Amino acid sequence: MHKAIVILRKRPTIFILAGLFFYLLSDHVDELRNFQGATAAVYLVAIASIVLLTGYSGQISLGHGAIMAVGGYAAVLSQKYWHFNLLLTFVAAVLAAAIFGAILGFAAARLSGPYLAGTTLALAVGLPSLADQFHFLGGEQGLAYNVPQPPMSLGADFTQYHWFFWITGSAALLMIWLTQNILGSRYGRQWRAMRSNPTAAALAGIHVGCSKVLAFTLSSGIAGLAGALMVLTLNLVTPSAFPLSLSFTIVTGAVLAGVGNLRGSIIGAVVLVAIPELSDSLATKLGGAERVSANLPGLITAVLLILTVLFFPEGPLRKRVKKTT
Amino acid sequence: MIRLLSTLLIGVSSGAIYSLMALALVLVWRSTRVVNFAQAGQAILSTYIGYEVLTHVNNFWIALLVATIAGACVGALVDVLLIRRLARVSGASANVRPVIATLGLLGLISSGVGLIWGNDLKRIATPVGTHGYTFGHTTIPFSPFNLLIVATAALVMAIFALIFQRTNLGLALRASAFAPETARLAGVRVDRTRTIGWAFAGAAGAVAGLMITPQSALAPNSMDLLLVLGFVAAVIGGLDSLIGAGIGGLILGIGLALILEYVSTSLAFPAAFIVLIIVLLIRPQGLLGKLRGRDA
Repeated sequence: MHKAIVILRKRPTIFILAGLFFYLLSDHVDELRNFQGATAAVYLVAIASIVLLTGYSGQISLGHGAIMAVGGYAAVLSQKYWHFNLLLTFVAAVLAAAIFGAILGFAAARLSGPYLAGTTLALAVGLPSLADQFHFLGGEQGLAYNVPQPPMSLGADFTQYHWFFWITGSAALLMIWLTQNILGSRYGRQWRAMRSNPTAAALAGIHVGCSKVLAFTLSSGIAGLAGALMVLTLNLVTPSAFPLSLSFTIVTGAVLAGVGNLRGSIIGAVVLVAIPELSDSLATKLGGAERVSANLPGLITAVLLILTVLFFPEGPLRKRVKKTT
Repeated sequence: MIRLLSTLLIGVSSGAIYSLMALALVLVWRSTRVVNFAQAGQAILSTYIGYEVLTHVNNFWIALLVATIAGACVGALVDVLLIRRLARVSGASANVRPVIATLGLLGLISSGVGLIWGNDLKRIATPVGTHGYTFGHTTIPFSPFNLLIVATAALVMAIFALIFQRTNLGLALRASAFAPETARLAGVRVDRTRTIGWAFAGAAGAVAGLMITPQSALAPNSMDLLLVLGFVAAVIGGLDSLIGAGIGGLILGIGLALILEYVSTSLAFPAAFIVLIIVLLIRPQGLLGKLRGRDA
């Protein structure tokens, strides 16, 4: 019990202040910015799950988009069949994704590097298409997710996207705070030890297999929450909401942030939200042909990813942060 | 009986394509210790080049030849421009980086291809008939085109086998894959040999791409599934073995065809995934691979 309190006590004030700042900010910006804020919050949570997994425990997953799909579908199904309220659907999403991740983690713990990457890639390609084939998952049309209206006490002109931003923003802040505390705890240290040198970590008494499974489970749980939040901003869940490119996008965000650097994940999330906007204005300048506007975001993401891997392999923030960690 | 036989034949035909993709992945893995996720992108790019040639000259064989050469050039370029640079950087995330770089390349190529050719589905006409052969009164799904696929894949495999076993280049390729340092001391130009390996892989991937496209359609990301199935086939054969890639592809192709025919059409992908997991858990070195550390 004492240990749990120690885990949770790090720097809650910063997060509460950040939350207040964003809430005040959200009152003064328009619908689009609120929606982008909500999207950034979703990416933030997803990137945090990769930072935990790849940056700390050293495992790589190209299939976190599929795990987000598990979370998203769990949220929608628990609302549809058991009439859970919003908070409980989030809990269902986290639990379902974590259980899925634990099962996967048992296989993943024995794999490394490219084997794990290929296996999770297979998952990302195949899992969302499964939903097409089972009737209760709604097929290609997907299933609707009912988000309760914002409470009347917030005023009549309190818009829906504003409300989305509040929900996703608070969930993201809470999750980042939790993640930071987990990463700062003994588990975070064990993962880093294991990533740097598995043999030495095992000699020091760390059960490498268990540690890996734990990391995969927690990371999947976080990704599940990201999936549920994404479903919330879209108001429905469809297989096409979780394409292979989503998995790539999250990995890109994590790499841009410098994998292994939770603070950088905010940069990653903001960049991921900025890319479509940037490419939209660029596409309009280039004439606005459909093939340009459809492919430019992917092109920019890929170029950023390759440049980062070549020139800032530890992330743009790494040099400065290195001293403190 | 005829149903079983025709299922097996279809399995061999799709397995031949998986084998080619697996071969491409194995060639790169052997020489560079990188699973090249961009292989799907390279195959897409070469197939689009083949498509472009086809619209101008309307001859499948010329298109196939051009696409194969283009695939080889793209493969060599990828190695020279990206992978070699990557190998020079070292650091904490050294083992994650090639994976992410090839992934970025996959995204770059598929969105670049979409930018040039658009995202709509393109179709490639087959050079030979696609109506199944008829035995007595039954027509089986196996068509002359399927036969062509099997023959082409077999030809490619035979050429590679000849190159690897009978030529000096093959010896150099095997040496620099097996022991790069020793090979370098023995006078093999390891970097150049490695690039040739990438070119071979690109060519094999291009043939796979052009052979699978007439049966479905061509789009900037239509080969993601082929990449995954090629990876599964390569893992079944043991990522290190060229013969293993061929056998792994055939096993996967026949297995999937049997499941599609006798169990359910919706179970093909989960089945492939479960096979992958089982192989990795029980025999991680694959059917033909040698047991050694897997942390490269």
